[in-house]
Amino acid sequence: MDSNIIIKLNNVNFYYGNNRALTDISMTFRKNKVTALIGPSGCGKSTLLRLLNRMNDLIDGTRVEGEILFEEKNIYDPEIDPVEIRKKVGMVFQKPNPFPKTIYNNIAYGPKLASNNTGDINTLVEQSLKQAVLWDEVKDILNQSAMKLSGGQQQRLCIARALAMKPDILLMDEPTSALDPISTAKIEELIEELKKNYTIIIVTHNMQQAARISDETAFFYLGNLVEYNKTEKIFTNPDVKHTEDYITGRFG
Amino acid sequence: MMRWRYLKQSAFFALVRASALIITLTLGGIILYILMHGYSVISWEFITKPPTDSMTQGGIMPAILGTIYLTLGAIAIGLPLGVASAIYLTEYAIQGRMIRLIRVGINCLAGVPSVVFGLFGLAFFVIIFKFGSSILAGSLTLGFLILPTIIGASEEALKSVPQTFREASLALGVSKWQTTYRIVLPNALPGILTGSILGIGRAAGETAPIMFTAAAFFTSKLPSSIFDEVMALPYHIYVLATAGTNIEATRPIQYGTVLVLVAVVLGINLVAILIRGYMRRNKRW
Repeated sequence: MDSNIIIKLNNVNFYYGNNRALTDISMTFRKNKVTALIGPSGCGKSTLLRLLNRMNDLIDGTRVEGEILFEEKNIYDPEIDPVEIRKKVGMVFQKPNPFPKTIYNNIAYGPKLASNNTGDINTLVEQSLKQAVLWDEVKDILNQSAMKLSGGQQQRLCIARALAMKPDILLMDEPTSALDPISTAKIEELIEELKKNYTIIIVTHNMQQAARISDETAFFYLGNLVEYNKTEKIFTNPDVKHTEDYITGRFG
Repeated sequence: MMRWRYLKQSAFFALVRASALIITLTLGGIILYILMHGYSVISWEFITKPPTDSMTQGGIMPAILGTIYLTLGAIAIGLPLGVASAIYLTEYAIQGRMIRLIRVGINCLAGVPSVVFGLFGLAFFVIIFKFGSSILAGSLTLGFLILPTIIGASEEALKSVPQTFREASLALGVSKWQTTYRIVLPNALPGILTGSILGIGRAAGETAPIMFTAAAFFTSKLPSSIFDEVMALPYHIYVLATAGTNIEATRPIQYGTVLVLVAVVLGINLVAILIRGYMRRNKRW
């Protein structure tokens, strides 16, 4: 596998019961880039995202065909433990979902339970919060409940919580859709910063956001990958008419 | 037209209010009646001394202690088993016909008359397991009796923990068991306790299940191990009221014992409510 490629999908099909949600998807994700997945609701983009850290395993009656290679190995190989995959592939959800614990314990929770963690937890908490540009706002209230933070702060806390596991990849499922414009701008800045060290794959309904922050964009429709290219190309001169119609708002 | 509708509404509200009032009055009436009749015999001696003179004199201390032992024993058996079952049913089992069948079974268990539990306990714990009539056999029987209540309450409490907490934890690469143990269970605990309170009250007040499995007609010595039989408040009341040597003479003691039983049940509930309140204060979402 090309060293710039971190994840490779080969002919992936995904089913909820008898309904096929993804059809024959083959694509690669590039290391240290931001890749945006766009498309109308129900097109399969979130399903695809949740395939990459095996979160779809939690839903009864789902089935995957094809292979998803990460570090040369198929993550759906029966010998692979999904827990190990999720340590390397972090996730941030649509709605901020901090635990009802203190700010400190939200960050420390994952690393404390991960057996392979040996470093100093205090340092790790500070480092993670700094990476998520939240440290200055919370450094004096680390023992306060995370539920008292604003929505935008909570979402950055969730990002810090994911970063504390030192993942290679960060999956983001519409991370700003529940936030106000100022919080959204902060998260977008943060993503710019994070891509130096992490590979980011983000699902978004916001076209401007995809155009602003991503390097590559994939457009999905009805479970098919319609077009996948550099973001600039997708937003200025897409190859497929359908893509153009979607990003210009003619349907969606 | 409007008038008619307004009348209908008023009538309905009156009906609902009356229902609530009847329940409150009944409860208040029972408690007041017990208080009035039982108040006079309550003394320090009554609750700290064993019965004397063929149970027509003296106190009921062994029965109080016995009921406390049996109730705590029932909780010690019913709570872990019930919570573990609920965790399996809600968190781990793949929902299907088998699980539906288990749920039906649990509901049936809740409907089994308590005397059947008593006979089961006699056959199974007392005779087959050779525990004899003892605290252990009685606690096990009561523990199984309150199991459906605890499972039901625990399932509801576990289900009320937001799915997003589970997802957040699992997405960090935390195992399913750790997620259940560290995130789901602590957040469900206040709800689990609420349900258990109902079970606790029932365990303390039941007579039939302990009649054959734990309760002694009379014993002035206190139990020294879980294999000893004990006196218990509900059974003591039953004995005094139906099988005593002099039923009329024990009448005041009967009322006093009832009062103590009600107080013990309310006391245990109160402790559980306080624990729950303390936990809820730490509930932060």
